[in-house]
Amino acid sequence: MSYSLTDIFGVLPELILVVTAITAILVDVASKGKDSSATMLVTAVGFIVSGIAAISGVGTIGVLMNGAVFQDGFTTAFRAIFCLIGFLTAIFSPAYLHFRNIRLGEYYPLLTMSVLGMMVMVGAANLLLFFIGLETMSISLYILVSLNRTNSKSIEAGMKYLVMGAFSSAFMLYGIALMFAVVGSINYNDITNYFLADPTLGPLTIAAVALLLTGFSFKIAVVPFQFWSVDVYEGAPATVTAFMSTGPKAAAFVVFIRVFGIALHPVASHWTLLLSWIAILTMVFGNVAALRQTNIKRMLAYSSIAHAGYLLVGIVAGNHAAFAATGYYLAAYALMNLGAFAAVIIVNQRHGTDGSYRFDALKGLGFAHPLLGISLTIFMLSLIGLPPTAGFLGKLYVFSAAIETGHIVLAVAGLLNSIIATYYYLRVIVLMYMAKPEGDTTIPRPLPYAITLIVLSVLILLIGVFPEPVISLMIAVAP
Amino acid sequence: MGLISWYVVIPAATAFAITLVPKAKPMAIRWVASTGGFLLVLLSAIVSVKYWNLAAADIELLRTSMFTKLYMVEQWTWFKSIGIEYFVGVDGISVLMLDLTAIIIFTGSLASWYVTERPKEFFALLYTLVTGVFGVFVSFDLFLFFVFYEVAVLPMYLLIGIWGTGPRNYSALKLTLMLLMGSAGLLVGILALYHGSGIHSFNLIELSKIHFPEAFQLWVFPIIFVGFGVLGAIFPLHTWSPDGHASAPTAVSMLHAGVLMKLGGYGCLRVAIYLMPEGAIYWAMFFMALATVNILYGSLGAIKQKDLKYFTAYSSVSHCGFVLFGLLALNLMGIKGAVIQMFSHGIMTGLFFGLIGMVYGRTHTRMIPEMGGLAKVMPWLASAFYIGGLASLGLPGLSGFIAESHVFLGGFFGNQWHDITLMRTLTILATLSIVVTAVYVLRGLATVFHSTITNPEFEKLTDATLPEKISTGVLIAALAIGGMLPWLFVDLIEGSIFPFLNRLHESGMISSL
Amino acid sequence: MQIELAHYLLLSAVLFGIGVMGVLTRKNLIVIMMSIELMLNAVNLTFIALARYSANIEGQVIVFFVLCIAAAEIAVGLAILIAIWRHRGMMSIDSLKQLKW
Repeated sequence: MSYSLTDIFGVLPELILVVTAITAILVDVASKGKDSSATMLVTAVGFIVSGIAAISGVGTIGVLMNGAVFQDGFTTAFRAIFCLIGFLTAIFSPAYLHFRNIRLGEYYPLLTMSVLGMMVMVGAANLLLFFIGLETMSISLYILVSLNRTNSKSIEAGMKYLVMGAFSSAFMLYGIALMFAVVGSINYNDITNYFLADPTLGPLTIAAVALLLTGFSFKIAVVPFQFWSVDVYEGAPATVTAFMSTGPKAAAFVVFIRVFGIALHPVASHWTLLLSWIAILTMVFGNVAALRQTNIKRMLAYSSIAHAGYLLVGIVAGNHAAFAATGYYLAAYALMNLGAFAAVIIVNQRHGTDGSYRFDALKGLGFAHPLLGISLTIFMLSLIGLPPTAGFLGKLYVFSAAIETGHIVLAVAGLLNSIIATYYYLRVIVLMYMAKPEGDTTIPRPLPYAITLIVLSVLILLIGVFPEPVISLMIAVAP
Repeated sequence: MGLISWYVVIPAATAFAITLVPKAKPMAIRWVASTGGFLLVLLSAIVSVKYWNLAAADIELLRTSMFTKLYMVEQWTWFKSIGIEYFVGVDGISVLMLDLTAIIIFTGSLASWYVTERPKEFFALLYTLVTGVFGVFVSFDLFLFFVFYEVAVLPMYLLIGIWGTGPRNYSALKLTLMLLMGSAGLLVGILALYHGSGIHSFNLIELSKIHFPEAFQLWVFPIIFVGFGVLGAIFPLHTWSPDGHASAPTAVSMLHAGVLMKLGGYGCLRVAIYLMPEGAIYWAMFFMALATVNILYGSLGAIKQKDLKYFTAYSSVSHCGFVLFGLLALNLMGIKGAVIQMFSHGIMTGLFFGLIGMVYGRTHTRMIPEMGGLAKVMPWLASAFYIGGLASLGLPGLSGFIAESHVFLGGFFGNQWHDITLMRTLTILATLSIVVTAVYVLRGLATVFHSTITNPEFEKLTDATLPEKISTGVLIAALAIGGMLPWLFVDLIEGSIFPFLNRLHESGMISSL
Repeated sequence: MQIELAHYLLLSAVLFGIGVMGVLTRKNLIVIMMSIELMLNAVNLTFIALARYSANIEGQVIVFFVLCIAAAEIAVGLAILIAIWRHRGMMSIDSLKQLKW
């Protein structure tokens, strides 16, 4: 075993984040917990540098570290997206944390570690490295969710998340162990080769697949293992919710594609039907539940369950184009959901709304705050899936793949669900533009808020109109 | 950039320019908007003349052609990996539709001269909507077509929801959800065509060179036809239309009834019938029966209405039924009639909704029984109303007559695939609506404008102002030109209809139906 | 009787099952966490047995990583548990009722 310089450069984004996290901890210690703005700055810069390092890897395809890490379009694209999510969450957070009276410098290093875990997950070429990435991400998130120690909801959410996360990780790990027993290796490529040679399913394989599937279903929060997510999303500090409903979900999905879509592809036909049903039930559950919410944070939480259903459609479709489509949709989803949460967080700092995330807080804001109104409208349109946003193209691309592979029922179910979803997304626009403003409409307007909104809405429109670069990245998936 | 792209650029630029005008200057906003509309009319005139010169040379060629010939084409690759192109151009049918849209948006801008609530946002959204509508009429790439279609739907939601009247939130939501439902079906159909063709292209002309298997056509045709049919208010999916029109502000009603509903018929012809002739032959009688229900239901529904807008909205449902009826006759007369009817009804209903808006702006009521004797105080508006009403009941000399007579003759002649008795029965049923229309139009107008003035307040009302006079004048002129110089239209569109017929005949011969 | 790979696998499956039952049925959060530990260690046993019988050292390497992860997880879990204790004064799962499931 030997490592060359190429290997080191290949994982440069991860290394940068490690350094960033350590530096951030040191800076935080030096500031003696009085002021975390220096910590935030270090983190933000770290994310930018790491993101640049990630983007510089465009165009390379191969494996690094003796076959442990994939360097391909997926890795590159999602490293960059995670850095973006991390960066925006970092700059967005101070004002929110201040508003919520959470003054803990640990926030930023934990955020960095979590992003690091996500990057390791998407790059991993074997099940162990994936598991380590998953746990790095999850353990940081457990702390982030319960960071608001004085708020019992936050603590409760943290506990629930931890129990559910650890429980599902154990399933996942057992699945990995059994896969190891069957194949004799934990490398994705070895798994593919094994099943290519012998596509029969023994009882041990079935058990392994079932356990892995259960574990993944928890992580990506699909029916019937979706129940924890809404509570956790509601209880966590809102910036953490925004972060964890986008990045970790995307990371888990990428691994899901790598394991179930690609590594286990030779035997994939055995669970296509099961996954189709999970996809349909997830969409329906998410959308129907979202319809009746009065709390906008919970509404978005349910809607992200529904989106997991649409994303599964791409995995069910199961060919190369479908994975690229799912990748594109994931990117779009991450951007629009982050944007929607960010906008909602801003709305709920409206004077006198006590941060309860009721829909009423939106009333009449559209004309009072044009930037907020327009960007939230863009996010909603993208979540609905209307052109010219990225959400539209993502959905189109995924459903197109489904129709191509003959899953017409699934595509129709997805489209009908999008219509149900239209109803509750439009309600946001209705309240913003068509309801009379009630009371004080002043909202704090720090610069990072504006930056976050502008960056996300511009990106959504940009990759919605010129998707070619993103799609070409996503197509370049390592075999 | 070619001539056709200006159809998208001008309204988009107008919308953008409007957002730059300071809020405090409503007059400037109106001028920018109307100038944009005027430029579009000018552009349409240029394009029409140019098309005329180009197409005249090809008419003999088109008589036997299987493929629509496009003029003034612009084509660039947009997303290479999926096979999406920016592919725009025109044929005779789209030229007519573009003319219609330009006239409606110009007159609609003038008719909205007195919008006082947030005029800036209103006009900006209006021109965004129009960008979508023009885009649909010039696109010959199905993906582009669909994108523009959706661009047209959403501003509608905001325009009705914010500037509408009555139960506007309900109407706006109903309209949007139903149209999106239609477009979801459409998307499935388009994707099925995309994958079913085997060439992974959205290019309409390329797709038309593929012969889709008959079984495929039989299930995709109804999906696409109904997808567009929702917008064309096909029975029983028309219910969004009366509510939507009644709640919408004036210019939006004009655009919506005048142009957007035509988009449905246009799509049925352009995509469904063009690409899937066998499917069209198979399903024609079923949908023709629905169209007949539309025609009768709409006109009978109109009789009962007391609200002028609902009244016009129901009559629109009826008139849009003529469009589908004509298309499904699947012969030259019928399709020609349907296309003329799209234009004629667009102008007529635009005139109606414009006038209703103007009257409502003065009387603040739209209830027919509450009005009376308005002809004395607003002679201009009353005369315009009469002309529109006469066109609506198909008086010779106005464009409605040309359109309806073509449609009925088309239905009566029948075609070689379907039972002639059935078609004639449906046609006779449909003609009954003319009588009904005459009853409700004349009765409605008589109540509103004649008899004595019921409300003393009405004595003080004024007649049309200059922008309103220009607006109604242009529309009336278009109606009259359509009625007196029909050869203008017929020549324009006839050449472009032949490819549709040739395709139908070819597939009718090889088909076992 | 010869003890074979299958026996180890069976034993770890039973242990894993006990862990799952513990998580699903017990009310005390500490017991729940212990059950999760049991699940993870059952998996460790599987890995070690597999490594031993297939002479593949990879399995034993994985165990080290899993041990680290389990330790980190439990440390965070206990910290949150203390916070819950401070808020609610109990460690039962019944205290987690503020957010509806």
